[in-house]
Amino acid sequence: MTATLISLELAFIDWGWIGGHLDDMWRATIEHIVLTSIALIIGMILASLLSLVALRWRRTYGPITWVTGILYTIPSLALFTFLVPIFGLSLTTAEVALVSYTLLILVRNVVAGIDGVPADVIEASRGMGMTERQTFLSVRVPIALPVIIAGLRIAAVTTIGLVTVTVLIGQGGYGVFILRGIRRQFATEILVGTLLSVILAVLVDAALAGFERWATPWARRSATP
Amino acid sequence: MQSTPMISLESVTKTYPGESLPAVDRLTLDIAEGEIVVLVGPSGCGKTTTLKMINRLIEPTSGTIVVAGRNVLDVPAPTLRRGIGYVIQQVGLLPHRTIAENIATVPTLLDWDRRRIDERVDELFDVVDLDPAMRDRYPSELSGGQRQRVGVARALAVDPPVMLMDEPFGAVDPIVRARLQDQFLDIQRRIGKTIVMVTHDIDEAIKLGDRIALLNVGGTLEQFDTPMNILREPANEFVVDFLGNDRGLKRLSLISISEATLEQGPVIAPSSSVEEARRVMARYDVDWIGVGEAGRLDGWVPGSVLEGRTNLEGLELLRFRSWLRLDSSLLDALDTVVSSHTSVAAVFDGDRYLGMLTADTIGKEIIT
Repeated sequence: MTATLISLELAFIDWGWIGGHLDDMWRATIEHIVLTSIALIIGMILASLLSLVALRWRRTYGPITWVTGILYTIPSLALFTFLVPIFGLSLTTAEVALVSYTLLILVRNVVAGIDGVPADVIEASRGMGMTERQTFLSVRVPIALPVIIAGLRIAAVTTIGLVTVTVLIGQGGYGVFILRGIRRQFATEILVGTLLSVILAVLVDAALAGFERWATPWARRSATP
Repeated sequence: MQSTPMISLESVTKTYPGESLPAVDRLTLDIAEGEIVVLVGPSGCGKTTTLKMINRLIEPTSGTIVVAGRNVLDVPAPTLRRGIGYVIQQVGLLPHRTIAENIATVPTLLDWDRRRIDERVDELFDVVDLDPAMRDRYPSELSGGQRQRVGVARALAVDPPVMLMDEPFGAVDPIVRARLQDQFLDIQRRIGKTIVMVTHDIDEAIKLGDRIALLNVGGTLEQFDTPMNILREPANEFVVDFLGNDRGLKRLSLISISEATLEQGPVIAPSSSVEEARRVMARYDVDWIGVGEAGRLDGWVPGSVLEGRTNLEGLELLRFRSWLRLDSSLLDALDTVVSSHTSVAAVFDGDRYLGMLTADTIGKEIIT
């Protein structure tokens, strides 16, 4: 019974179409990665600056999370629509929207990571004669790295999903397959766009996790009895 | 003898913002080179505040602090701190750096070259008796006691003349603490640093301090003297209360057996007659007799086994259960006295029998 269902569903898939569009898929993958990367890089830079402000002037942390929180809650479709009159059907529109969605997650994790550095470690660092700058750059930031990367992973997975929507404002990526599949009522193409997006998200998440393990070897070893 | 102090606090006061009463109130202390001064007192007595003002982690409200001839406020804080060893209760090792890198923190800040740093780290592993296999481990892989020793090694890295220690042995269990304290005293005997240490534990203060500064709530100095003098002549009621009601025993812990007068005790040669044994037992008013001669003490027998005998030949001797060495304290001796059948503590130098102590002779040592 199950076997026949699966074979029925597999029958919906037009393997011939897939075989004939491998080039398209490759191009869409590159586009998807570029759109995602730009958003994450700009998002990380902006979030770092906002976090520095929040850490330096504590009272700004509330308003910063409030504003980035509002941005985070705006439905993506609506946000793209609002931005089109300003930036047109452009890469800028897509990236402004994508970046806004990363900010809340990234700022929260950067601030939480930096704040989570144990007080005794900070006291010892200052007590040994590190300047405030040295304490920040060579103690606080490296120790906060696992938490910051955790935020980056969530932001990356979220962004990869959101990039599919940017097809509506004329951008490429896997969204092209999904939109075209819906218009042509062609299940194979929708499925391919969706699956590729999911696979990319899983791979990027795993890659970042691997990077974290490589960059913070100290965080995974624990006390030997 | 009275040379320039290594650390000098002159009427130092700290009042935290928003507080009406000072945390430290016009504190004046002179600390000589090479001595361990322990700041001790109840919580809220400003002992940690005092310590942190010396390396400017806290800035005094008024007063002057001079370290090695320089007013600390005239030296940029990071420069000052690199020249003063600092050890805290939670150790504060950098979790993302290896043990060797942690120990090398201050040399690295001072831009020592790679080879000099490596050599110094090797030396320090030796000084604090750490296994060199730990070099490339991370702090999370070490036990509490090991971390504490790394903390001390790190503070010693650039061989600073002054060390500040804030409850350095507070975070480890009592057995490890006692061992770390002994090891610390051992290291200090070799390196002779000027050390200011904070503790809330009066026993630790008595054990480690050359002098103790007893502080009261509000940061007032109640007494500043050697442990022995404080125990012998507490300055006031506060000091008496803080020392607790076992002041006599604490004093015993400071006197080593080598300072006490030993008595030969009821000991006779194996060849002696039972009659001789009875006479010695009567003289000492005991119901047992020790057997030995020529610097040996082989054991003892209870008086009851002598019934119906004329000599000691063939008697099975009971052993003295705990033996004391000359560097043990009179408190250890008293413990042996009260827990032994014979109510004496036999003292040996290696195998050589030196004499014994009784509750009476130990008591005399405190009274004199």
